[in-house]
Amino acid sequence: MEIELISFGRISEFIPNQKIQINGIETTSGLQNYLEKTFPQLAGMKYKLALNKNLVQQESEIRNGDSIAIMPPFSGG
Amino acid sequence: MDTERYQRQLILSGFGPEAQQLLLQAKVLVIGAGGLGCPALQYLAAAGVGYIGIADNDTIELSNLHRQVLFGTANIGSKKASVAAKRLQEMNPDPQYRIHLLRISTQNIAEVFRDYDIIFDGTDNFDSRYLINDTCVRLHKSLVFAAVSGFEGQLAIFNVPDADGRKTNYRDIFPVPPAHGEIPNCAENGILGVLPGIMGTMAAGEIIKLITGIGKPLINKLLHYNLLSQEQYEMNISPSKYDTPLVMEASDPDTMPLNHSYIEIDVERMLSLSEEESTIIIDVREKHEFPRLDTETYKQVPMSAFDNFLSSEITQNNIVLLCQHGVRSVAAAEALYQKYGHTKTMYSLKGGIAKWRKHFLTT
Repeated sequence: MEIELISFGRISEFIPNQKIQINGIETTSGLQNYLEKTFPQLAGMKYKLALNKNLVQQESEIRNGDSIAIMPPFSGG
Repeated sequence: MDTERYQRQLILSGFGPEAQQLLLQAKVLVIGAGGLGCPALQYLAAAGVGYIGIADNDTIELSNLHRQVLFGTANIGSKKASVAAKRLQEMNPDPQYRIHLLRISTQNIAEVFRDYDIIFDGTDNFDSRYLINDTCVRLHKSLVFAAVSGFEGQLAIFNVPDADGRKTNYRDIFPVPPAHGEIPNCAENGILGVLPGIMGTMAAGEIIKLITGIGKPLINKLLHYNLLSQEQYEMNISPSKYDTPLVMEASDPDTMPLNHSYIEIDVERMLSLSEEESTIIIDVREKHEFPRLDTETYKQVPMSAFDNFLSSEITQNNIVLLCQHGVRSVAAAEALYQKYGHTKTMYSLKGGIAKWRKHFLTT
């Protein structure tokens, strides 16, 4: 299935916005593992996912056409 | 009140004298008179917010001026909060301005917050941001949050109930602060002055909406703004299922310093903890590593299986982690902190088994 990745801040430097094909991944934690393997820089960072514009607070199912936002904290002022 | 000054907003449909009166009665604290704080202060003062606090202890530097638009070249070397208050007073003498010439800390923050209803976080570091967030939760203050990174900004309102009475705060998004250096700040990363200008102005807009009850403030939402693409992305925030850990809730602030998710201990402390009833000691080394420890005392949970282990519940309150050199045990402690926050206390044996080899080989 195809999902859309939307990234912010420093994460967009190594995960540009894109549509990706994923197979065999059905949940947000599965996707998280996949992302951290595919983009190892992500594994060492604090970040949060949002699924279809809702912050992911628990294991959620991913469906074809979903959008996943990957967001780091910002501190600058 | 000089109504002519506010005439254009007084005649605005859906605003009017009632909203102006609410602004006059409002007490807003702006923390950080910097790139975000300056534009926010300008519009809050101009709109007629009645009581405006400015908390900052920094002095003005030449490299601030491209974004901290309340200051001029002649102000270099002066205190930001004092210069800002003087400039705002000239712009609009109606509000009462209060200067807090201090850097907020666990010692002074409750006292500083006492007189305000709404707190605006325009600081530039995670230590302050978590402290402000946690204090707003503890003292039930509304928090408007803005932050920038590169060409992007984040904006949110925390600790204000939505229509269903649900409140969220920054720790619902990022329960634990990033490590120092993980996220670059403006000094390291650079910043275009107009971006905090926009974000600080948007924050002032949200504060005015909160005070007057107009429109839809960003309650339980986080807005992302990208200056380069002019795109906005809004996401809904829901409360985390884990208890939010808060700075300063620990009984002893010395043993639970600000933002620390775990405590590093020596072997003596580990032994005294092991005598306490509610303690579990976990060896996170892989099964092939030496020396082997008594599995009665040291529960084996290798890092390779730690994610699985996290899905089970730990009943003990003190969790001591150890490994060969005290590095993996820190990672394990942080993972447990992500789950339990300060509801349990995580300890990591500093230096690991290698450092205390004598102890482990003789027992």
